[in-house]
Amino acid sequence: MQKLYNERIDEKILLQELDNGLKVYIMPKRGYTKQFAIFATHFGSNDSKFIAPGDIDVTEVPDGVAHFLEHKMFEEKEGSIFEQFSKLGASANAYTNFTTTAYLFASTENFYENLKLLVKFVQNPYFTDENVEKEKGIIAQEIRMYQDDPNWRVYFNALEALYHVHPVRKDIAGTIESISQINKEILYKCYYTFYHPENMVLFVVGDIDIDKTLDVIKENVRQDKKQGEIERIYPKEPSSVYKKEVVQDMQVSIPLFNLGFKDTDVGFGGKKLLKKNLEIQIGLEMALGRSSDLYERLYNEGFIDSTFSFDYGGEIDYGYSIIGGQSKDPFKVRDIILNAINNLQFLKEEDFERIKKKYIGKFLRTFNSVDSIAYSFINFYMKEINLLDYLDLLYSISFEDVRERFQNHLREENSVLSVVNPIKK
Amino acid sequence: MELIEKQLNNGINLYIDTTDKFKTVTINLYIHNQLGKEATKYALLPAVLKRGTSSIKTYKEMVKFLENLYGTTMAVSVYKKGERHLQQYRLELPQEEYIQENILERGVKFLKDLIFNPFTEGNAFNKEYVLQEKEIHKNLIDSRINDKTRYAVDRCYEEMCKGEPFAIFELGRSEDLNFIDEVNLYHYYQNCINTLPIDIYVVGDVEPKYVEEVFAKYFSFKREQILNIPSPNVHKEVREIKYVTENLEVTQGKLTLGFRTNVPANSKEYFPLLVYSGILGGGPFSKLFMNVREKASLAYYAYSRLERFKGLMVVSCGIEIENYNKALDIILKQLKEIEEGNISDYELDSTIKALKTSLNAMKDNATSKSDYYLSQKIAGADLNIEEFIKKVEKVTKEDVVEVAKKVKLDTVYFMTGKREE
Repeated sequence: MQKLYNERIDEKILLQELDNGLKVYIMPKRGYTKQFAIFATHFGSNDSKFIAPGDIDVTEVPDGVAHFLEHKMFEEKEGSIFEQFSKLGASANAYTNFTTTAYLFASTENFYENLKLLVKFVQNPYFTDENVEKEKGIIAQEIRMYQDDPNWRVYFNALEALYHVHPVRKDIAGTIESISQINKEILYKCYYTFYHPENMVLFVVGDIDIDKTLDVIKENVRQDKKQGEIERIYPKEPSSVYKKEVVQDMQVSIPLFNLGFKDTDVGFGGKKLLKKNLEIQIGLEMALGRSSDLYERLYNEGFIDSTFSFDYGGEIDYGYSIIGGQSKDPFKVRDIILNAINNLQFLKEEDFERIKKKYIGKFLRTFNSVDSIAYSFINFYMKEINLLDYLDLLYSISFEDVRERFQNHLREENSVLSVVNPIKK
Repeated sequence: MELIEKQLNNGINLYIDTTDKFKTVTINLYIHNQLGKEATKYALLPAVLKRGTSSIKTYKEMVKFLENLYGTTMAVSVYKKGERHLQQYRLELPQEEYIQENILERGVKFLKDLIFNPFTEGNAFNKEYVLQEKEIHKNLIDSRINDKTRYAVDRCYEEMCKGEPFAIFELGRSEDLNFIDEVNLYHYYQNCINTLPIDIYVVGDVEPKYVEEVFAKYFSFKREQILNIPSPNVHKEVREIKYVTENLEVTQGKLTLGFRTNVPANSKEYFPLLVYSGILGGGPFSKLFMNVREKASLAYYAYSRLERFKGLMVVSCGIEIENYNKALDIILKQLKEIEEGNISDYELDSTIKALKTSLNAMKDNATSKSDYYLSQKIAGADLNIEEFIKKVEKVTKEDVVEVAKKVKLDTVYFMTGKREE
């Protein structure tokens, strides 16, 4: 086994790649009561057009299929997988985002049996016309729940404005219309394309025995031959934004806004992507964090409140920053922010070291919980980043790196404003 | 590991839980109050305190101070447990060995100043700070309608407990804000810090003696007679079920049912009640999940949850508006099933195991642990997590059926769309 170790935080992760291509990561965490495992595939809502290994033709599937498949994996011929986890006392769950579908459980006993169950059920699809139809009602209610959630709407409206054609502009669960077209043949096609061990990763963390864990995995994983590359087809996204502004009326008391910035320096993963991520996040923190002049001004003038937040999400083929919150005047907030960051002397070196310290503490906190370790690990893995590289990279970043990155990314012409307004009486 | 308790002899209690598994030390300080007519003032206070201390006069400088302590986090919140109104102040400080610096004392002093040495002008808070925070507080109260899922549950409880203190929203009422100014808020504040019970929980890799010394140094000042907060009344006879409909611009209906359990927080019947609620809607093994979601495909989420301290239970689900009657019938049928003893071994065992897992998992989270201790204390119970689990494991089907008879439907709340006019 290969050993990944970071001395600064005294944490190690063991890696073993199996013959079928599956990558297994095991992280011992002494003293923890809870064990946590995630079995994830590199298949998300963005992957709706692809050429499967061995195919010549392009397959195009309805929006929301990765999420639909996630729901259906919990059903087997013998019954519900939830039932088996429940009998073992574990709490099982799953999630789908733009790039990933992940299945997970948390347990405090029967760990190896739970692990076996996780490995087996994710490799055992069972779709029928009947069980696919039945799920449509449930997912329709999930979609409706998000439709009525103004924070979700303001976010996806911003993504729709940022992107012309990239699938990230579409809702992860699809629409009630798009999921109505899903059938068992489509699900099997996606399953056999994307749920090959070669396209998957298994991460396990807790106070566990490494050899025993690896044995359980090896005994229960399919011994498939490697299948080769999946060709994912994404439309060519222009570097410009699609729309500058988008406004929707909903049942809210005060306008909500998302100010989005499109990242155009994309197309790479790994350490380079991690570095970019950190540069932008540190830059945003220096510019708009709770200790910044700009935050103080916006807050004291009554334009923002404690819901104000910002984040950069950088994937391999796209990335964007979102600054959001509630405000009586989102357009004014945008103007103030854009005006301030236009000034080249805006970021101050004196703030840099302090914000870096803050990020060190933030990173350390990740390691307080097996759940957050696992989620972060998988999230980074899909970007070809090793979680344990984080701290060393953070130390290596200079003020100049941040300033240059910030100026290139946070530009007015890359920005969009999404607003959800209260319904006018 | 047992919790170490140290009374500072002024109504402030310090609890220390030493564990070496975390990379941070977490301090949670809770101030207890009765939920009542001063709720708005009480809820507004932490926001004003956060604006500045006597030595660090602005929020910005405060944040800079914490960032220099390697991003020590400060989180302040206000919520209720039953009819007890709580302020929570949390600091999470990186552990010495990862930053090669001991910052605990600086953190403790900061916490003391934050709560007990605010920035004042004469005998009042800063006028501007109070004005700004009032406006923001009003927006936060009004914006609770934005989160429909939570709003539906809050509204159900409000309608159900009209006239009881529990109906008061944790952030208070926006109309009260007109009567609050920097002077009367400061007077109210002084009364609070002098008379309200305070509990502090420290969780992390610390030397208990050292922690005691540091807290004794900063928190041993004199206070007045400490307020005694009584347990709320949990018994109420339901004469007639209330039906409430609220029309909003929504596409999904939220059906929420409020129940009186008539079981006090420290009663031995609380454990069967916990299992009862779990069988009904505590996870994917539960009757609500199986019948409302899996069998009838009516909802994505359908659950039940207890409010331990006021003796309440809520059932909630998001449905297609026209399915109101169908969903209501299925939910009521599940309650009846339990009452009639139609509980499978699988349902009972899975519920107990799930409760056990979530209780055990609290040991891995410093704030969950603090919250567990706090809840035990408020309930008037004194069980550690292991003892609590033992009580849950002993619950039988008969116990569940017995407690089911005490649970009475009080209010049916439905959030629905606007009628076409």
